[in-house]
Amino acid sequence: MKTDAHIARYNQRNRQMESRSETVLRLGLFVSFLLASLFFPSLLVASNFGDTARQLADRIAVASGPGTVELEVTNRSSLDDKSVREVRSALQSQLRVRGVSAAAADQSVGTVAVVLSESLREYVWTAEITIGSDAPRVVLVSLPRALPTTLLTSALPITLKKTFLFSQEQPILDAALVDTSGGAISAGTHLLVLDPTRIAVYRQQSGHWELEASLATQHARNFPRDVRGRLLLRRDHLFDAYLPGTICRSSNTSPLTLNCVASDDPWPLTPTEKDENGLSPVRAFYAPARNFFTGALSPGIGKISTVPSFYSAAALPRSSYTLWVLAAADGTIHMIDGITDQAVRGARWGSDQAAVHSTCGTGMQLLVTGGGDMNRDTYRDNDDRENNRDTLRAFEIPDRDPIAASSLLEFDGPIAALWPDASLTSAVAIVKHADTGWYEANRISITCAN
Amino acid sequence: MRVAIQSSPMTLDANTSSTPADYWDMVRLLSLVGDNLVGIDAEGRPQPALANAWQEDSTARHWQFTLRHGVNFHDGTPASASAIALILGPLHPDWNVRATSAAADSLTIDTEASAPTLLAELALPRNLILAHNAAGLPIGTSPFRIADYQPGKLLKLAAVEDSWSGRPFLDAIEIEFGKSLRDQAVALELGRADVIATAPRSANASPRMRTSSSMSLPVELMALVFAPNSKAQDVRLRQALALSIDRKPIQSVLLKGAAEPTASILPNWMTGYSAAFSAQANVQRAKALLADSRPPALTLSYDPRDPQAQLIAERIALNAREAGITVQVSLSGPDDIRLVRIPLPTPDPALALREAARQLSLSPPVLHGKSVEDLFQAEHGLLEDSSVIPLFHLPVASAASPRVHGWAPDRLGGWNLADVWLENSR
Repeated sequence: MKTDAHIARYNQRNRQMESRSETVLRLGLFVSFLLASLFFPSLLVASNFGDTARQLADRIAVASGPGTVELEVTNRSSLDDKSVREVRSALQSQLRVRGVSAAAADQSVGTVAVVLSESLREYVWTAEITIGSDAPRVVLVSLPRALPTTLLTSALPITLKKTFLFSQEQPILDAALVDTSGGAISAGTHLLVLDPTRIAVYRQQSGHWELEASLATQHARNFPRDVRGRLLLRRDHLFDAYLPGTICRSSNTSPLTLNCVASDDPWPLTPTEKDENGLSPVRAFYAPARNFFTGALSPGIGKISTVPSFYSAAALPRSSYTLWVLAAADGTIHMIDGITDQAVRGARWGSDQAAVHSTCGTGMQLLVTGGGDMNRDTYRDNDDRENNRDTLRAFEIPDRDPIAASSLLEFDGPIAALWPDASLTSAVAIVKHADTGWYEANRISITCAN
Repeated sequence: MRVAIQSSPMTLDANTSSTPADYWDMVRLLSLVGDNLVGIDAEGRPQPALANAWQEDSTARHWQFTLRHGVNFHDGTPASASAIALILGPLHPDWNVRATSAAADSLTIDTEASAPTLLAELALPRNLILAHNAAGLPIGTSPFRIADYQPGKLLKLAAVEDSWSGRPFLDAIEIEFGKSLRDQAVALELGRADVIATAPRSANASPRMRTSSSMSLPVELMALVFAPNSKAQDVRLRQALALSIDRKPIQSVLLKGAAEPTASILPNWMTGYSAAFSAQANVQRAKALLADSRPPALTLSYDPRDPQAQLIAERIALNAREAGITVQVSLSGPDDIRLVRIPLPTPDPALALREAARQLSLSPPVLHGKSVEDLFQAEHGLLEDSSVIPLFHLPVASAASPRVHGWAPDRLGGWNLADVWLENSR
């Protein structure tokens, strides 16, 4: 069913991966520094910075010899004022231990000018020591820079809750929790992480994930640039993994093995093996050299077996039919009930969406990534199109008109993937952290505000 | 996608660039066609490219690389270890580059001396893995292949469907040569170009409406270099000239606030210690250094292709006069001092220092270790006799039209056009 005509468009998905403007880049760096300053420095001063101050004091004392000096400390790094004061204090006391005391210029035999600076990798502290008429001497020490932390967010009517699961430097395509007790992550819970090269199996142990198995995903042809993948838990074996042009199936016995075959078979659009009527779920053909589904369905949605090529689809069951919401590759949203296909333009949604059950409202909400909420035209006019954040919002769709049901849940980077979990009670959002470049898997669940 | 660049290369070769602008243009062009064995990020960390694993021995003389499977050159021939050895070997006569064994995926590099910066060196644009066809055009492994090349005029690239790093979103890129920065800006405004290079400007400058601009980290050095037979053989005279230069007005007016005044070769983002090299003007000290001497008049030359160079040179001459040094700006006759601008081609500080020393005709830096202090001492040693006076670190800038999406140039000035797509292609 796949034809070239179906593969005419090939773009980055609509996930706020737009151009990086200088202003926002600087703002992003500033925010990162600000956050780092807010959350880290005082802690670090107590540990690493204290050690570094001691090392610098050692070197200064060797260069200056014992005596009284004027000590100047200038901050040209991202450290906040409080940290700088603490560094200065630590440095003074360490110098005093080594026989070098700080005093006013007129009582000193020389000056020690300390500059707290940083490169992209390290904090670098330099000290220029000038004693009498001797030529100045420079000593320096360094220590690695810490990573900034992330922002917390809040929400309104329906509350979206974000639970961090896992992060790694390599792209994460999907992640799935196994053996959770009532949704809680406890000792023994397993986490499957799909990336372009492997499926890693982790086990929760003493509060952290321990790698239990790493299963390589063999594939004959190269994956596309914006590679996507899907993990689906199964009853008769642990999981299936769908990758472009490749389907992998795990064994059902231990030790776990993985068998991957080249296949253009369609991908299931819902995580369940049967729909609510006991029928096979709708499947869609994925363009193996692109980043979207071609639009060919098997089985179809009611009488409709071909839809526009799309990035993601979500099923919202109704009493007598299922409403499908598709994020099409041309930027439109399609609502398909099995008979009609209604295109909604200008919805300004992102390219990923997932339907999640809850006990709130109509009982079924649609999670939608950002893309329009940030008003991209405004950014463009301001030469400011790059937004290092992405958002997620829950919508109710009583009929065909989406109604926002939660406030925006913000992420510190673009959402690279959003898939519902096997129980349909939560979703997994994969975020590429804007500052670190690492990929984070988060579980997104819904709680009722009241 | 339509791209306009300033230079007009008659050959596609990373080693033929004569100005920094030519250098960046050529690097951006060739990076669209070829890959390196390994890459490097802005923090100097090696990244997998054609090799996805490597190991070195304890002496850093013996390196073994595991190559990525299934990578082909654009002509369909495999990018095997032996094919890569045939390309890298001639570029480095002092290295022994060879396929390790019968296995096609293992490459060995042996060096005579310890080579701790070998990975960063392999990531340099001049070490792109490019074969050449019968017409002498480069054939690489990147997401774009050369479809048409008209020397000095035009380069057309086409998407490679089965690229190892994924098919690019664009189908084709057309690069027009020989467009001045002004012509490029006009082309962007009129919708005749989608991506251009621009002159760096301060973050406070009003942005050009509806375009997306981007500025790299400072990746160029502007400096004064004394010629070997310069009349300024006295170190005190060179030091006095260095002390006489007031960099601030040059930075804010002539360089539009985008440059960072400096007295170090390497920028602060690379080392963190540039504050240890004072860039403050001190005319009184300059005069004191020259108190007992009558300095000879010096001639200062500049690159006439650099649009800002003449004004900067004249400003330096003015500063020098205040300290009692006569500097004549001239493009004719032998020069005592040259105002130069050089690219810093790698974020690895040790290698960047070596490359800068080579371009500035200095002796190779002496590094005793890998620490920041070792680096500082090496750089201090290079600058000790003031035969080079660093002035500014400068970024490179570019801009894209509103219809360009996914535009995220890297912090080192690269363009990453394989991840870009155009709005009206939707």
